[in-house]
Amino acid sequence: MLAAALVASLAACAAQPVQPWQRGHLARWDMRWDPDATQAALAEHTHFSKEGSSGRVGAAGGGCGCN
Amino acid sequence: MIHPSASLSALLGAAASLLPAAHASAASTDDAINRASYRFSDYDEDALAPASVIGDGKRYRVLSQVFGLDTRIADGRFDLKLDATHEVMSGSSPWFVLPDAQQRPIQVLSGATIRDHRSALSAALTSDPGARSNTTWSAAYSAERDYHALSAGVERRQALGDALTLGYGGSFSHDVIEPTDAALDDRIARATKNSASAFASLAWVLDRDSVLQAGVQLNAEHGYLTDPYKLFSYADAIIPEHRPGERAEGAALLRYRRSFAQIDASLHVDYRYAQDSWGLHSHTLEVAWYQGFGSGWRVVPALRYYSQAAARFYSPFALVADGRVNYSSDYRLGTFGAFSTSVNLRKAIGRWELSIGAERYHSAHGLALDGGNAAVPALVDFTRAYAGFDFGFE
Repeated sequence: MLAAALVASLAACAAQPVQPWQRGHLARWDMRWDPDATQAALAEHTHFSKEGSSGRVGAAGGGCGCN
Repeated sequence: MIHPSASLSALLGAAASLLPAAHASAASTDDAINRASYRFSDYDEDALAPASVIGDGKRYRVLSQVFGLDTRIADGRFDLKLDATHEVMSGSSPWFVLPDAQQRPIQVLSGATIRDHRSALSAALTSDPGARSNTTWSAAYSAERDYHALSAGVERRQALGDALTLGYGGSFSHDVIEPTDAALDDRIARATKNSASAFASLAWVLDRDSVLQAGVQLNAEHGYLTDPYKLFSYADAIIPEHRPGERAEGAALLRYRRSFAQIDASLHVDYRYAQDSWGLHSHTLEVAWYQGFGSGWRVVPALRYYSQAAARFYSPFALVADGRVNYSSDYRLGTFGAFSTSVNLRKAIGRWELSIGAERYHSAHGLALDGGNAAVPALVDFTRAYAGFDFGFE
C-alpha cells in the first residue's frame, strides 16, 4: 500500500510527461547511474572493506575483508 | 567481512537503462553494445604513527586487476556480462588494542606481514536487454586462501508508465572461512555464513534534464560474523573477539542525476542511510561532476563523505571483566567519519577510451556526525590510484 501511494504521488508530480524524443539529454553517457560500472565496483569494494555499513557488494561476490 | 549479497547499488545499476533510448548520442565507446574493459588499481594505506603503535606500522596494500566483457548473445535476445578480478594483498593489519598507563589506546598490529591473493568471477545474464522491462540472473564466486564465497541473485526491472521504472530482486550468498594458522593461534578451524538480501527501487524521470531514484534494501546475515584474526584486550587477558551470530540491516538510497548538456556536463548526487541490529548506523553522501571538454576529453572530480556511529559492542578494550558477551576493537565498528576526494580523467580515441584516476581517503573520530566517545585508534587513511581502458566492438 505504501509503495502504491508512493507510485501514485510520483506519477502525480510528473506534470509534464517527458516524451521519448525529449530524452536526448537523459540518454547521455554521463547521465547513467554508474557511467563507469567497473570503476564504481572497485571503489565500493574498497570502501566496504574499511567501513561498517557501506553499500554493495552486489551479487558480484566479495571477499573476507579481514584486515 | 564482506557480505556478497545483491544490494541496492547493484539493483540501481541494473536499472540504469530505465531510459531505453539512452546512450545513443554519445561518441566513442559510449554507445557500444559490446564492450571489453580492463582496470588496474593500487590501494595503499598510510602507516600509523609510531608513537601509538606496537608492531610493524606499515599497513595494507592491495593491487587489483579487473577484466570485463559485456556482449549481446543469442541474436541480441540476451546480454551477458562477465567480470574476472584478481587481487594481491600484503602488509600488516590491526590486531588488538592495549591501554597504556594513562588508559590511552595503543594499537597492536599483526606481527607478520600478510600475503594473500583473491580471485573472483561473476556473470550476469539479462533477457530482453533493450526493453524497458527485463530480468537479470547473476552468480559469482570469490576465493581467497582462507575465504570462499558463492552467491546468486535475480532482479526484475518493470516499466510503470512513461516516467517510472520499478526494480526489485533478491540474492543469497554462502561464505566459508578457514582461517590460516587456526591451531597455532587458537582460531576457529572452519565456519560458515549465509546472507540474504531483498531490495526494491523506483526510478523517476523528473523532466528532460533530471532523473531521481529511491530504493530500499533489507539484508540478513546468519552464522559466523566474527573476524577470526582480531583479538580483544579483556581485563588482564587477550582473547579472540566475539560478535553476534546474526545481523539484520536496512538501508535507504536516493540518487539524483542532472544534465547540463549545454556545457557538456552533469551532476551526480547519491545519499545512503543504513542501520543495523548491532546498533551501527551510517550516512554516505557522494557528489560528482562530469565535465566534457571536447575532442574526447572528460574529467570527473568527486567528493564523498561517510559517517558511522559505533556498534553497541565496540570498545578499544575492557579494563575490567564485566561479563559482556560480545566484544570487538575492530576500528570498522567504531565511531568515525571520513572524507574522500577523487578525480578521474578520460580520453576517447575511436573505439577506445583510456581512464586514469586517484582517490585520497581520510578518516577520523572527530569527523563523525554522532556516536560514542570510545577511541578508534586504527582508523585508516589511504590513496588509491587506478588506470584502464574500455574497447567497444560490433
